[in-house]
Amino acid sequence: MISKRFSKYAFWGTFLAIVLIPLAAFANEAEAATAAVVTTGAGIKTIGAALAMGLSAIGAGYAQAKIGSAGQGTLAERPEERVFVLVLTALPEVIALLGFVMAIILNG
Amino acid sequence: MSEAVVTAGNRAVPESDEGYANARLRGMRSHLLPLSFYERLIEAPDLNQVVKELMDTSYSGDLEDQLVHGRTAAVIDEALKHNMIRAYRKVLKFLHPNARMLLSTLLGRWDVFNLKTILRGAHNHVAFDDVKSSFFPVGYLSAEELEALSKLDDVRVIIDTMAMWDYPYAAPLRRAYPEFSKSNDLAPLELALDRQYAEWAASRLIGEAPDVDVARRILGMQIDTLNLVMVFRLLKADVESIDASGYYLEGGRVIRKEQFLELARLSDVDEVLDRLKSTAYAEALDAAALRYLENASIPVFERALEDLLMRRALLSGVRDPHGVGVAIAYLFGKQNEVTNVRIIVKGKAVGMPADRVREELILV
Repeated sequence: MISKRFSKYAFWGTFLAIVLIPLAAFANEAEAATAAVVTTGAGIKTIGAALAMGLSAIGAGYAQAKIGSAGQGTLAERPEERVFVLVLTALPEVIALLGFVMAIILNG
Repeated sequence: MSEAVVTAGNRAVPESDEGYANARLRGMRSHLLPLSFYERLIEAPDLNQVVKELMDTSYSGDLEDQLVHGRTAAVIDEALKHNMIRAYRKVLKFLHPNARMLLSTLLGRWDVFNLKTILRGAHNHVAFDDVKSSFFPVGYLSAEELEALSKLDDVRVIIDTMAMWDYPYAAPLRRAYPEFSKSNDLAPLELALDRQYAEWAASRLIGEAPDVDVARRILGMQIDTLNLVMVFRLLKADVESIDASGYYLEGGRVIRKEQFLELARLSDVDEVLDRLKSTAYAEALDAAALRYLENASIPVFERALEDLLMRRALLSGVRDPHGVGVAIAYLFGKQNEVTNVRIIVKGKAVGMPADRVREELILV
């Protein structure tokens, strides 16, 4: 039940990452298109950035859901391990951050 | 049979995440007492010190509940039992339904244990309190139902009451009753219970899933243990006049029917041990043979086989770290711990020498 809640958050986080970031990127591209001709390479870069961000967010969400539910199981019996569990749960954020960095590099 | 334990109180049981259950079981396992703790208990000068030591463990809550009745071995025993039952029920509540089904199947052996206790109590006119203190209501029958049965002082009435409740063990007991009434020996009834459990459990552990296979291994070893214990008992019986095939339980892992019949025909312990040389039980039985030479007591083999089963069950947590093996290992580990602490408490209460207590412990 706890993992389901985590999964829900992970899903909506990922959904927003997949939908909003590419939309924003395309919006920028659309503005640019009015000023200049959009090249195919630029479009592919944008899609790549969206995939980097979106897929890494999915991966991070999935990992956090798994670690989170196991962490809750651990905390139910060993509350003294809460700091360790918190660190482990936060660790997959790095994956999402790396995706974010990749997206910036691609669009930069 | 239904999962009485997990549906107790008609409460809906949420479906648990496997990762959550696995981590929680590992957390619970980490609270099991280390071997060094047993040594501290053995070295304790009296029961008061034993209680003091136990108050620093997961038993403290149950001890606090029970100690209002005094500080006797029986009271501590009751607290240990309550703790074990509570731990079993807790595990069954948070397990995934598939794992819960497998575990409740293995826990069905406690039904057999409880029923044998009730039948022996009625047959030997044991006091109600003594029978009641031996229950482990973690199977199909609730503590209240077991108490109701143990208040009946006639074997026939107990069986009829179970039949009235539509309890699956009633039919085989009814079939075995004429043999019991003829010989006034509980063995046919106990065999009927074992057979019913073996058949029922085997019918539930079907499929090729790894979890089912792990549970089937443990069940197979339990049935092998029962069959081998029967072989050792038959050594002292007049095998010519009995049909040994009637004592064989199907579903064992190693001991097949032909081998059982062959073993049952033997009349010497050494011969039996020799025939079992190539099986997984050889090492444990050979080690027990040394103790058998000292006191010529067949129960040493029974104990050796049960210890081996315990070791294998605990190993299933290592062999199947992500599946039901962890749960099986925990439940057996808990049982082992409670058994050991009970031995120490009883030993302390009757003034048993420390070395003798150490011999009795199952140190795995």
